[in-house]
This record gives sequence, structure tokens and C-alpha cells, in this order.
Amino acid sequence: MGTINSALSIMSQALNADQEALNIVANNVANANTPGYTIESPTWQENQPITISGVSYGQGVTETGATSERDRVLESRLDQQQQMAAASGSRLTSLNTLQALFTPDSGSSSSTAGDIGSDITGFFNSFSSLEANPTNNALRQNVLSTAGTLAGDISNAAASLNSQRSALDQEAAGVTSQVNSLTSAIAQLNQQIQTTSPNGDAGTLEDQRQQDLSQLSQLIGINQITTENNGLSITTTSGQLLLSGGTSFQLTNGTVNGVTDFFLGNTNVTSQLVSGGGSLGGYLTARDQDIPGALNSLDQLAYSISTTVNAQNNSGTDLAGNTGTTSDPLYIFNQPALVAGSAAGMSVVMTDPNRIAAAGAGDGTGDNSNATAMAALANQSIVNGQTPTNYYSNFVTTLGSTVSSVQTENTAQNASVTQLQTQNNALSGVNLNDEASAMTTFERSYQAASQVFTMLNTIMASALNIGDQTAVS
Amino acid sequence: MRVDPFYISNLVGSLDQTQATEQQLSSELSSGVRVTSLSQDPVASGENVLLLNQIQQDDTFTQSANLVTGQLQVADSALGSVVSQLTQAISLATSANNGTMNSSNVKSISSQISGILDEVTSLANTSYQGQYIFAGGQTSTAPFSTSTATSPAVTTYHGDSSVNYLQTPNGQKIQLNVPGSQIFTGSGTSSVFGALNALVADYSSGTVDTNQAVSDTTALSTALNYVSQQRVAIDNSMTQVTAASDAVSSVQTQLTTAQTNLMQADIPAISTQLSLAKTQQTALISVIAQLNSSSSDLFNKL
Repeated sequence: MGTINSALSIMSQALNADQEALNIVANNVANANTPGYTIESPTWQENQPITISGVSYGQGVTETGATSERDRVLESRLDQQQQMAAASGSRLTSLNTLQALFTPDSGSSSSTAGDIGSDITGFFNSFSSLEANPTNNALRQNVLSTAGTLAGDISNAAASLNSQRSALDQEAAGVTSQVNSLTSAIAQLNQQIQTTSPNGDAGTLEDQRQQDLSQLSQLIGINQITTENNGLSITTTSGQLLLSGGTSFQLTNGTVNGVTDFFLGNTNVTSQLVSGGGSLGGYLTARDQDIPGALNSLDQLAYSISTTVNAQNNSGTDLAGNTGTTSDPLYIFNQPALVAGSAAGMSVVMTDPNRIAAAGAGDGTGDNSNATAMAALANQSIVNGQTPTNYYSNFVTTLGSTVSSVQTENTAQNASVTQLQTQNNALSGVNLNDEASAMTTFERSYQAASQVFTMLNTIMASALNIGDQTAVS
Repeated sequence: MRVDPFYISNLVGSLDQTQATEQQLSSELSSGVRVTSLSQDPVASGENVLLLNQIQQDDTFTQSANLVTGQLQVADSALGSVVSQLTQAISLATSANNGTMNSSNVKSISSQISGILDEVTSLANTSYQGQYIFAGGQTSTAPFSTSTATSPAVTTYHGDSSVNYLQTPNGQKIQLNVPGSQIFTGSGTSSVFGALNALVADYSSGTVDTNQAVSDTTALSTALNYVSQQRVAIDNSMTQVTAASDAVSSVQTQLTTAQTNLMQADIPAISTQLSLAKTQQTALISVIAQLNSSSSDLFNKL
């Protein structure tokens, strides 16, 4: 049999529960804009009924605490997508800086400065002009000045590439300390979570861990592995352990062959990190693949032009009637020994325009057959089986296509991140309209409970006053 | 259904993107260039390098053509003068050979022909911009000199037989010079200087060995014909240079048009895109303003 007393007790519990629920709503509204906050909802639980004389009576409600609305699968997918987007994003930034060195020439005379394609043409054209009048000093001077422009622009481009590379190297090295502070923060949170809520969602702690994970995955490619007691292990994409439970392993860096390499323990993990994802992966891809690729193409171009032109000039007769000798070769460009470094070291060593060998070997100084041969080099396959201009044209097309495909990739990945973010926000974000409606509901429920309590109080007074209506009011 | 409560930040993202598009489009409009970075159109960027290469080659050839035309004209006019001088020498010799002249007249003819010889030598030593044009490759020294130690005098060629060519962008080779040996001291009887020196010697004593003189005069006529033939080679080169230069100029015009079409901004299309982007931006701004206005929140209704 139910009693008025037990009804009063049910109502006071209901008031408590509603207060707790309102507290949760207040916390949600307060954290509406907190990054990483996951919306919480009150958990209602029916109290155990009691059975008296075979009849079961409900015993009201208890609010057992807040539950975070979280989807771990969605969150880890978001992290994964973020690390890919961050990788292509940082690679794209580097590539954009890179391609700015090779801006297309619009064809107007003001834009030809600094354009290697025009420089190549200009240089070989200077020999075509020399054909018309092989002894003319102005035309000879023009050969040296166009050679200087070509060598200057190629070596400047190479120098810029090298300095971009070392800037990227520094940026990549700077990521290390951020990664380390995040992994140790996650390790600490892991420990707290394992102690405080080994079996359930850890609420705020979990939010913090998730927020750190999200930051970490933008820096470096990671895999997440859930372990017992709500713990978490993190490895790099290729499987090296970054943290396990409460222990984090520090990523260290050191200089190897002039560039920064990354170590976990004693293992060099640089090559795995290159394709691993995260902005570090993007920096390393640009540093170890894109820039060296562009440099290598320039080196090949510089090497082939320098050696072929030098050899051709050396085989002719200059204005003084001399042919090149081993001790005094008629070299226009600094003769490179190796392909690597040719672009950076390209320069004009000839200072006297009369040493340009326009005449063929054994011919008089008014002959132009060697100038014709040098001009013809422009249309010969002297660079990796291609003419210099074709080679450069292919180089810019390849570079442009790479940048363009990374751009497309990055756009797609960002769109996917946005989509996942929207899904995640829809689930875990604080919707103020929802909170307003929840608050109204709980407020009404609280009001109802207090009304019922008042009524019960009146009923109790009536019960106490049976026979004497004025004893209790 | 639950929705993303932060949809406004997505809208702001779209707004940023629209602004970036507007920036890009207006930079294309102001520069007039469609492709401002390689990644915008990699294929066009590569094609552009090739087109500019051809255009510049053509441009250089047109300039070279102007340079060599001057030299070819000098050579042509020098050979023209040689022809008229030789014609005069032949008519002098013919008049001396008819046997009606007295000794002093014959001597005077000898000295006139000697004057013609000097004139022809100086024409054969014609220089253009300090370079002797009939010297083959040895353009720094005068190609012809006459030694009077013997009689008849001997004119020697100091040049060589090298011929310079100008190559057109499509590989055609145009001859730029004819070595002096080929024109003036050609093999056997066709030697201009041989015949002139012989005639000077024939008439120098005042008495004429008619057989010898007639044979030397015939040799000079043969040499004259030969010079005229060589002059044709120079004239041919001039025609070729002009024709090649015209052809190259017209190719260059076409290439420039192609390059312009490839790289230049399509102003009407870009203006349309810009106006679309502008409209989108305005729409986004009003949507954001609407959504952000205070009445959109349920809390305001409580």
C-alpha cells in the first residue's frame, strides 16, 4: 500500500533530479562554444519499485549523471581525414611557393625577366644573330649577356629552391615538440581516464583527450587503438608506437646529411613519416620529393646546356684565331663536374666576348659555321633526349600538374573533413534551441513536482486534522 | 533529425571562398592574363614556353635578316660596279685591238685598263662594317693584292673558300657570301685579274701583239660572264632572305595570336564569373545576417 509519506519522498527526489538536469543544461549552454566540448544529456533512471502485499509501487526517479553524446567511430574517421587534409594542405602551401618561381611568361617584354624558358631561347638566339655578322662585337657581347641572364636565373631558382627546402626542414623540426607535448598530455589523460572511469565514457576528460587527438592528427599521421579500461594506444601510420596507456615515447630529431631526420627511440622513422600524413608528412613530402625533383630537373638542364655549349665553343675558332686547348679551354659556362649542383653553380666564366668561337675549326675568323652549330643546339636533343626548350616546357607542365592534382586532392579532403565535422557537430555540438526546449521541459517538470508536493502537503494536513480541522494548517 | 548547430561557420567558410574567387578573377581582369600560376593550366603553361620560343626565334631571324640584307646589298652593288668596269675595259681593249691606233694611244689604253684594274681590286676588297666581304672566312685582311715585280703583274688572293650561311628557323640555309677566289680568280681563263693584268702588259709597250691581245680580251669577256653568274648567287640570297623574312613574320603573327589566345584572359567570361561571384557573396551575407539576427534563437521566445 502506498503512503502519502512515500509520495512526498518521490516528489522530493523528482525535484532533485530536475535540478540536476537543469544543471546539465546550464553546463551545456555555458560550453556552447568551447572547442571539443561534447554535449551532455541527463541520464534518467527509474527507482526500484517496492512490492507490498503482492502489489508493486513505483518509487520515482533518480538522475544518475550526465552522458556525453559521442560517436567514437565518427571521431576517429574525422581524425583520419584531418591528417590527410593537413598533409595535402601543407604540401600545397610549399608547392605554391615553389611554382611561384616559375610563373608563366605572358609574352610581354616586361614579364620575360626571370623566365628560364625565355632565357634559354634568348641565349641560343644570340648565336643565330651572331651568324649574320660573326665578328660584330655588339653581337658577341650579346651572347655573353644572354648567357649571364640564363645562368643567373637558373642559379637563382636553384638557390631559392634550396632555401625553401631548409625553411621546410625547420618547420618540420618545429613540429616535433608540439607532437611530444600532445602525446604526453594524452598519456596523462589516459591514466586519469583509466582510473576514474575504466568502463564508461569519461566525459570532460574524454573531450580533452579527443581534442588533443584531433590536434595531433593534424600534425602527424596516427593510428588509434582502444585498449582495456578505456585506454588508448597511438602509433604512427606505419606502426611505430607513439604512446601506450600512460607512457608516451618522445619523437626526437637530429641532422643527417644536412637535413633533419626523425627518430623514435633509436629508429629513424623519417621515410615512414613522409607518406604518413599530417602537416609533418606534407612538409616532408615537399622537402624530400617535390623540391629535390624540381632541383634535379634544373640541374639536368644546367648541366646539359653548360657542357654541350662549352664543348661546341671549345671546338671552334675564336676571334683571335685560337682553338680551345686543355690548359685554356674556350668555355662560356662554368664547366660542371656532376649533374647534382649544376643549377646552383651555373655561372658565366667567359669575360672576353672575342673568345666566343663563331668560326669553325681551322676556318678564318669571319667564318660563322660554329655559331650556326651553337644556334642549332637549341633544336637538338641535348637534355635527356629533348631539346632544352621542350625539356623546360615538360618541366613546367609536370610541376603545374603536380600542384594542380594536390590542389584537387586537398579540396576533396577538406570537403570530406567539413562533411564529417558537420556530422559530428550534429551529434555532439550544443544546439541552443534544443537546450532552450530541454530547459523549458525540466523547468515545467520541476514546477509540476513542486505543485504535487504542495498538494500532498495539503492532503497530509487534512489527514493530520481528521476530527479537528484547525489543529494543522 | 539533429542538425549541425555551427552551420553559420560553414557559411562563413563559403563566404571566404567566394571572396578568394573574386580576388582571383579581378587579378585576371587587371593583368589581362588568364594563367597566373602553373597549376591553373599546366598544359597551357608548357605550350606557352614552346610558343614563346618559336616567336622569339622568329623575331631574332627577322632582325638578322635586316642585318644581312645590308651586307648582301653592298656585295651586289660592288659586283655591279665590277661588271660595268669590266665592260669598259673590254671596249677599250677591242678598240686597241683593231690596229688603227698609234703607239701613244695604245699606251694610254694600257694605263686606262691599269686604272680599271686598280678600281676592280678596290671593289674586290670591299668591306662592310670593317669586314672584307669577298675574303671567305679571312675577313680581317684585304683579300687581294697585286705584285708588279713581274710582267704581267700578278694579283694574289689571301682569303679562303669558306662560305657563311644564315639558318632560318625552319632550317633553310641561305648563302651570305661568295668567296673572292670564286669571283675574281676563278679557275683557268675565267680569272678577272689574270685577264686584266695580261691586257695591261699587252698594251704597255705601245705595240700590240694582236693575237695575244685578242685572246686576252676574249678571256676577259669570259671572266665578265662568270662575275655576272656569281652576282646572281648574291641576288638569289637577297630574294631568299626577303622571302624567308616575310614568311617568318607571318608565322610569327600567327604564333603571337595563338599565344595570346592561350594565355590571355577572356574578359567577357571573367566579368560574368565575377558578377556571379559578387551575387553569391551578397546572398551569403544576407543569409548570414538573417540567421545571426537575435530572433532566431528559441531562448529569445522563453
